Amino acid sequence: MLRFVVRRLLLLVPILIGLSILVFVWIRALPGSPADSLLGERTTPELVREYNERFGLDDPVYVQYWRYVKTTAQFDFGVSIATHRYVTDEIRERFPATMELAFAAMLFATFLGIPLGFVAAKRYGGPVDHASLFASLIGVSIPVFFLAILLKYVFAVRLGWLPSVGRIDVESDVEHPTNFYILDAIITRDWATLKDVIRHLILPAIALGSIPLAIITRITRASVLDVQNEDYVRTARAKGLPPRIVDRRHILRNALLPISTIIGLQVGLLLSGAILTETVFAFPGMGSWLRDAIFNRDYPVLQGGILFLAFVFVIVNLLVDISYAIINPRIRYS
Amino acid sequence: MSVVEAEAVEVQLEAPSGLWRDAFHLLIRNPGAIVGFVFVGVFVFAAIFAPLIATHDVTEQNLPLIANGCCPGPSADHWFGVDLLGRDVFSRIVYGARVSLLIGLVSVSIGLAIGLVLGATAGYVGGIVDSSIMRVMDVMLAVPGLLLAIGIVAALGPGLKEVMIAVGLANVPVFARLVRSSILAQREADFVVAAKAVGVKHHSILFSHILPNAISPVIVTATLAMATAIIDVAGLGFLGIGLQDPDETPEWGSMLTEVNEYLQTAPFLALIPGTAIVISVLGFNLIGDGLREALDPKLRGR
Repeated sequence: MLRFVVRRLLLLVPILIGLSILVFVWIRALPGSPADSLLGERTTPELVREYNERFGLDDPVYVQYWRYVKTTAQFDFGVSIATHRYVTDEIRERFPATMELAFAAMLFATFLGIPLGFVAAKRYGGPVDHASLFASLIGVSIPVFFLAILLKYVFAVRLGWLPSVGRIDVESDVEHPTNFYILDAIITRDWATLKDVIRHLILPAIALGSIPLAIITRITRASVLDVQNEDYVRTARAKGLPPRIVDRRHILRNALLPISTIIGLQVGLLLSGAILTETVFAFPGMGSWLRDAIFNRDYPVLQGGILFLAFVFVIVNLLVDISYAIINPRIRYS
Repeated sequence: MSVVEAEAVEVQLEAPSGLWRDAFHLLIRNPGAIVGFVFVGVFVFAAIFAPLIATHDVTEQNLPLIANGCCPGPSADHWFGVDLLGRDVFSRIVYGARVSLLIGLVSVSIGLAIGLVLGATAGYVGGIVDSSIMRVMDVMLAVPGLLLAIGIVAALGPGLKEVMIAVGLANVPVFARLVRSSILAQREADFVVAAKAVGVKHHSILFSHILPNAISPVIVTATLAMATAIIDVAGLGFLGIGLQDPDETPEWGSMLTEVNEYLQTAPFLALIPGTAIVISVLGFNLIGDGLREALDPKLRGR
């Protein structure tokens, strides 16, 4: 087991180096200099020079790359050109928002998808099965941002049940020490804020969770169909175990193995979807932040933000692989 | 009838068949796939004959119509209503099909071509070539797809060609991985070993023995990738980082961008382009699923 973890950790090193080069080269390939985009059209050559000097944009490329690697290794991504705040500070504020959103979306997808897929497989060929197939087909075919707009229209604009924008009521002045609003509200036992935060989270989470929901439902269904024809299931039935126990111990437990991998693979999709969902709901997370950074040519934000997200993505996949090896002993020794 | 005769009759009863012929028969009997073909057919038809179908010029503004606020809904003259600038939504949707289909086809071809070459090389050559290609693919896969496409458009600048390249490149690692794993599975197969033993040249082993047997999952993935490409293009358009000039060349995703604030008064402005995207994407997904079932003998009868 330890050897497996060490091997996976070592594989991370070339990926991270490659990523840092990719992001660095990409930033240099962007048209227009940051000085131009920030200082606007009325800038003077002196201003541009002063600006480039301040951010070290005149140094040779390898010097810039080395400085970038050195500072990145210390989790120092520099200062945002647009807001003059530390990128790390902004990540500290915005990443928890995206985390809460992604977590809520996964929770929604998992706790609805697994039972739905299971029931569909048990009633194979029946109306529930067909309905679940149809729903999951629609789920993967509807763009996240269109679903987000639809949900917003029906539940916020028309029915007025839920708020349509933001992460918390605009008039709220509650402090958020960890920036995980839900966690903060629970720690301080501020139930009114907790309710408010959850209400703001529902629509974006459903929109973002729709694709994972569709995929998890399909995989669960296929996986249960596979497993329930296995010999050990027949044996369990033949020896007279109650169906409910066979379902739980023999079928579901084995059918869940592939699902854990699928959940890990959804993280990339979630991050892509977060950019769109956060834009529709004006949700102050990493996605809407990076989108603005692209428009502002905010190099440090793009550099730090994308590297950070890719890092999170790689780490989550590592954790999924490890947990998979723990759940499934067959993987460990291959 | 002797045993030999009986067997001869039995052999004759099995119609001559092959993977592709069987697959075709299964596909045209699959109701889902037929619906998919209809959806994609409508989409392709609209794209090809856009100038004949469109009722108005896509840039023509009917200002008196929006004088009393945004926006009048469907009417006899404007079937899908008019947008914020008084332009005919129906005509813009029809022309939008062109953009989506074109970008989808070209970008999937780019991804497929590069991915096929890289994956086939990695899988067949192996060794250091394999690991260096696949490490680069791993790095590309470590960046979420849409983010990668956004990054490429940001570097190349907005425009039709640039969006095609961006969405295409974002697809490369997917195809490269698929082709590589399917070639690895074929490389040790008996018929390949036999071909090697009798001295068949490398490239003809790759092209006439391995690739034809590795191609069916690639076809399925390419169909499904069309669906993803349409969604990605719309996503880029929605974020406002797609085409250079969405006023001249209508694009479904960017049609959804500005309607966010008009949901109260004119929800149809969001519903119509959104539905167009869903229908075309659904079409490709249905065909892809049908193809997968038809081409994978293990899934038959499921």
